[in-house]
Parts: sequence; C-alpha cells; structure tokens
Amino acid sequence: MIALVAQTFVNGINVGALYGLAAVGLSLTFGVMKILNIGHGEFLMVGGYVAFWMLRLAGIDPFIGLPIVAVVLFLFGAVSYKLFFSTLSGFHEEQKIKNSLLIGFGLFLVFPQIARLLWTGDERAITPFYSGGSFPILGIRFGYVPLAGVLVAVIVILALHLFLKKTYFGKSVRGTSENWKAAKLMGINVNRTYMITFGIGTAIAGVAGILVGLTQSLSPGVGMEWTLKALIVVVLAGIGSVGGAFFAGLILGVLEAVGAIFMGPYAVALGLVIFLVILMFRPQGLFGKA
Amino acid sequence: MSNTKRFTISGIIVVILLLIPVVVSRTDLMTWLTFTLLYIALSQSWNLIGGYAGQQNLGHAAFFGIGALLVRTLWLYGTPLPLALVAGALAAMIFALIIGFPAFRLKGVYFIIGTLVLAEILKIIFDTILPHASVLPSKLLNDYSLTPRYYLSLVIALLAVGLVYGISRSKLGLGLMSIREDEDAAEAAGVDTLKYKLTAFLISTGLAGLAGGVYAYFAAAVLPGHMFAAEWTFDAVIIVFVGGVGTIIGPIIGSIFFVLLQQLLNLFLPAGTHVLVFGILFIFVVLYLPGGLVGLIHKLKKNAS
Amino acid sequence: MLEVENIDVYHGQIQALWQVSLKIADGELVALVGANGAGKSTIVESISGLLPLAGGSIGFNGVRLDKAPAHKIVEQGVCLIPEERGLFPGLSVLENLELGAFLPESRKVRAETLPFVFDLFPVLESRKDQKAGTMSGGEQQMLAIARALMSKPKLLMCDEPSLGLAPIVVKSIFKVIKQINQAGVSVLLVEQNVKAALSLAKRAYIIENGHVTGEGEAQSLLNDEKVKDAYLGTG
Repeated sequence: MIALVAQTFVNGINVGALYGLAAVGLSLTFGVMKILNIGHGEFLMVGGYVAFWMLRLAGIDPFIGLPIVAVVLFLFGAVSYKLFFSTLSGFHEEQKIKNSLLIGFGLFLVFPQIARLLWTGDERAITPFYSGGSFPILGIRFGYVPLAGVLVAVIVILALHLFLKKTYFGKSVRGTSENWKAAKLMGINVNRTYMITFGIGTAIAGVAGILVGLTQSLSPGVGMEWTLKALIVVVLAGIGSVGGAFFAGLILGVLEAVGAIFMGPYAVALGLVIFLVILMFRPQGLFGKA
Repeated sequence: MSNTKRFTISGIIVVILLLIPVVVSRTDLMTWLTFTLLYIALSQSWNLIGGYAGQQNLGHAAFFGIGALLVRTLWLYGTPLPLALVAGALAAMIFALIIGFPAFRLKGVYFIIGTLVLAEILKIIFDTILPHASVLPSKLLNDYSLTPRYYLSLVIALLAVGLVYGISRSKLGLGLMSIREDEDAAEAAGVDTLKYKLTAFLISTGLAGLAGGVYAYFAAAVLPGHMFAAEWTFDAVIIVFVGGVGTIIGPIIGSIFFVLLQQLLNLFLPAGTHVLVFGILFIFVVLYLPGGLVGLIHKLKKNAS
Repeated sequence: MLEVENIDVYHGQIQALWQVSLKIADGELVALVGANGAGKSTIVESISGLLPLAGGSIGFNGVRLDKAPAHKIVEQGVCLIPEERGLFPGLSVLENLELGAFLPESRKVRAETLPFVFDLFPVLESRKDQKAGTMSGGEQQMLAIARALMSKPKLLMCDEPSLGLAPIVVKSIFKVIKQINQAGVSVLLVEQNVKAALSLAKRAYIIENGHVTGEGEAQSLLNDEKVKDAYLGTG
C-alpha cells in the first residue's frame, strides 16, 4: 500500500516537474508584458517535434540536442513576437490583454494545421535507446528518462531564476515588468526586452516539449492541452511567481496522480476544476501577491 | 442604404431561401446551405456576447453541446422536435445562469480563460460518460430527409439574425456596446453591467443551444463528446472576427465564406486546411483589420466615393 | 543645448500643448512653472520621447529628439525624473541604482558614480538592500534623483520633485538639485511650487493651459505683478 502511494507520488513529481516547466515560460511572458499567450503550447509542440526529427534524421540525442532546441525556439519565439504581438504594445492594457489572447488563439488555430501538413497527424514519441529503462529504490520505480526530465526542469528554472536575479539584463526585465515607463526613461529598449523575454519563454516551452515527447507523445494537437496545463499552474501559483510555478506544477502533478487512483479518467478534469476554484476564490494564486 | 431598402433586400433573400428546397434537390448543395445557416446562427449568437458586449466567451461550445445533447436525447425518445428544441435552449440558458454569476465576477482575461476551461471540463466529462456514438435508429434513417433540417436551420438562423439585429438597436444593445468600450465608465454612468451582461449571455447561450439542437437533428451519427468540441466555439469566433465583429452582416458573410472555403479546400487539400486559412485571416484581422470583411468593404466604398 | 520649437502635443484626441517653445543653454537651471494641468508634465514627457509630437521639433546638441525612441534619448544625455518618480518598487535601492546606469557608457563608470551618489544621499546607502517601494516619499525622491544621476545626464529634468513632501524635505531636495547644477548638469525644473522654483532657478517659463505665457529671469518674474497675483497668492 505504501509502495503504491510512494510510486504515485514519484509519478506525480515526474509529470509535475514537466507541468512546472511548461508553465514557467507562460508565467514569465504574462508577468513581464501582460501577454497571456494561449498559443504557448504550440511552441512546446514545435520544440518536441524539432527534437524528434533531430533524433530520427540525425541521431542526435534529445538531451544533447536540448540547447539546439532552446536556441531554435528562442529565435522562433522572438520572430513570432515581432510579427504578431509587438503591434499590440501600442494599445492600452485591457485591450492589449484581450487582443493578445486572440492572437494566441489564432496561433493555436494555425500552428497545428501547419504541423499536420508537414508532419502528419501521427503520434510521435522520442525514444532514445535508454527510454523505458528504470531502476528501483525500495521497491519504487524511477525511470531514467522521467528522472532526467525532472533534473532538466530544475536546472532550467534555477537558471532562469539566477538570470533574472543576478544579470543586468535579467534585472532590466524585472524592472520593465514593474514599470515600463520608468524602464524607458532609464534607456532600456523596452520593445527589445519584450521580444527577448518572449523568446526565452518559448525556448523554455520548447525544452518542455522535448520532455513531453520523451515521456508522453507528440501530435499536432498537443499544444492546447499543454497550454491549459500551463494556465492551471500559472493561476495556481499566482501571476509573476516564476519559482512558484515550478512548485505549483509539482502540486498539480501529484494531485492528478493521486486523483487518478480514485477518479480514473475524470482526473484530467480535476486540474481544470481546481483552476476554476482558485480563479474564483484566490485569484492571486498560492504564491502570488494579492 | 436606407432601412426600407435593407428590409426589402432581406425579405427577397428570405423568400428565395424559403423556396430553395422546391427547386434544388442536390443533397450536397442542400447540406452546404444547411450548414451555412447553422453557422450563421451559431456565430451570430456568439457575436452578441463577444462582439456587442465585448465578453469573449471561449466556452460557447458548452452551450451548443448542452442544447445538442438534450435535443438529441429527447427527440430520439419520442419528444416532438419543437418541444425538444425549447428544452435544449432552456437547458443551455439555465446552465448559463448558473455559471454566469460567478463567471462575470472574473475580470476580462479571466472570464475568457475561465469559460474556455469550463467547456473543456464538460467535454472531458461527456467524452467519458458517453463514449459511444449516437446513431439514428434505422426507421429514422430510412425516412431521413434534408428538407426539414434545412428549414429548421433557416428558421433558427433567421431567429438569431433577427434577435441580434433587434437587440443591437435597442437600449440593451446600447448598454452592451458601452460595456464593451469601457466597462468602468458604463458602470459609472449608471448601467447595471451585471444585468446587461447576463441578459446578453442568456440570449446568446439560448441561441447556441438552439443551434446545437439543429445540429443534433441533422446529424445521422454523432459522438456526444463531439457536440462539446471546442471547434464549435473556435469556428464561431473566427467567423465573427473575419466577417466583422459587432456587426449584423459580419457573421453572415463570415459563415458563407467559411463553409464555402471548407467545402472547396476539402476537395484538394487535407481536412482542416480551411481552419489554417481562416486562422491566418483571423490573426490578420485582429492585428490590422479590426472591422473584418465588413470593415474592409466600408473602407473600399469610402475610398471609391 | 536644448531647443524646443513650436511643439504641438495631443493626449489622444485632445490637444495639450500649443506652439510651445523653450530653450536651455549649457549649465543653466531653468524652471517651468504653472498650475496643475497646465501642461508642464506633457512638455517634459514629450522631450523624453514618451509622447509623440503633432508638430514642431525638439533638438538637443544638434540631434533631433522628436524622431528618436525614448531609450535613445536617454543615450543622448537627457534624463527625466517623472512625477511618479519612475522607480521599480519591487527591486532594491541598489538594483534601482544599477538600472539607472543601464546604458553602456554609464555602466562602465558606475563603480565611481555609485559612491558619489551615496555621498550625496547617505540614507540610500544605509537602505541599499531595501525594496524601493517600502521607502518614505522623501527617500523615494532621493532615490529617483540618485538613479537619474547614475545615467550621467547632461540635462536633468525633474517633474514636481516637491510633490507630497514635507517642507523640510523639499528644502534638502532643492539643495541637492542646486548642487547637481553647480556640478555642471543642466536642469529643467518643473514645479507647481512657483516661489521655490523661482528662487532656485536662473530663468523660468510660465505655462498656462498648454501655452507659454511668460518667460524671463527668475528674479524679475518673482517681482512681476501678474505672476504674484496668479501664483504667489495673496497670503
């Protein structure tokens, strides 16, 4: 019995780390420029596919190819920002948020179709030679790949945290998110800062996509599912809490894993219900500022 | 264009539409028309809450689905269709009332996301409890005729257009538009924003439920989960925006264009390509052409004169 | 140094400035005075690139400012301390100062500028890890000025530095501004507190309803009957 609970917990952490990683990019983008990109999951999907094809066509291990995916998705995100979102920065806040939602929605419509045309609707999984392997500790199974995934998530989020806290540019990102007018008056190129921040967000999403491809599967339609997961985590954690997003992700992962035991297929709805409840009664989330 | 002229032209179009089944017997054409009318009803219903009131409800599919599911179930068990339709619309509206109060407490973005999530929850629930397709029993399949489906679709479409047109010219419509432009200012000016939003929401979802009912009556076989599929929301949203959000003609033009594109593109290109095209148009409209096709036509007319 | 020529500026659809012109020479301390809503903030925001011009031009040492984006204008050496102080409330005092020196030129010398600024405002050094938003009004104003100095400005524009501050604090702020000017930085001081501004500045412009209605030596303006009536009060 204890073994079952412990295994469930471990499984939950594995998935939860992924949820956290998927959410961090979204939280960053929304916190800094008030753009709620519901196309976020699409970038995750693209990242996963890039890693898949790198392995399939060039034999590049997904973990080794991780930096490549990050760079590709960063550029892809920065260009997407320039094309689709930068026009919005002229609007005032309420309109900007609404329109950014619509644009994200548009991306959600368009990207899966393009993906389907390019790569067919087949489900893909990234399967390096070691996937499926695991080792036991005290009767609990720890899969190599999921464990590596947790490690990657922790490293990425830690790196982001250090970046924001310690580097000059990171500080300018934090400043810009608090007061963009003041940032401009200090000589900070706010538009470029937004573009780079957005790119960082999509790069992280792309990395999450690799992990999704490794531990679950990829298909053109997988984006919205992950956008919703990311949304739930962001709301659970509270806007603007990047570290909180990771922990909220873990919580969600564990809750779902435990829920699956009692609720079966409805467990997926659990997260969504939690989302709505939090939205109603504690909109600032668990870790956010009121 | 003067009002009398407008009404005359509309009247002529309606008469033509009424007579179509008499002259046309090709099923593909009839299906196409039925679907276009269905989309007109659906998109017009979203237009009311999303276009006129500015509350972009991304959970519209939930109400379409509730209407569809209830109508299908009741009708298959012998309830006369009109009664089933009323029940379907009412069910959708009751659900809207239940979630409307808490939903509208959410400001702007959160309302949009919240409704999206809600629809997702419903889809998951119905996907799980009703995983089997609902197929028409053989007697009904034998007697299946497109004509009554067409007329039903026409009636609901006319109802939707008429209702939204009437509201747009009423005090309610004015209130909604003021809420859309600046909710705080409207509130300060004495508009009971919650009441107006709820009213629009109820009418919008009632119409959506009716549209769902049309679909339920039309479909020979359908997966219950599909009735709640997010596509119904998304199609409505992109039709409204590309056509011209917050206008009467917009959703009509948008629907015609959408279904046409869907039928055409499905001939040579993989399914779903019409969504790609419309998606790109949608993004373009949001960024550069907020008036949609209607706005574009107006601009061209102005430039020509 | 700074030449604002016949600028027209709109807030949305509403015109805020009509044909406003002013000049500041190297090393001057010039005041911009007028009642609340007269358009003073609009002027400095336009110079800083936060608002576009509908007409006219703004030149700084030969460079056209009105065609440049805000962050480039700061690069030219024009620094605005806005009315709201323009701080990052969640960041520490030190981080705010560091971001003040964001531009490469100022970043290079920030090892010297920082102690200079701490000398001027010792209280900032003692609070350097405190979040800027938790400080008092006076301390925030000091921080705002300090971070402006971190960018090594050639022209410093202060929008209502005395706003919301106790008279004794205002006195010390003004003293610092005078010191900064004496160190060679040109200053454009925007103030509702006409008397204090005119005592500090050499020259001044009077703004009323978006128009420049008076200009001259601060001393003569102080003694001007119309100015006395309108701004210096009967009591």
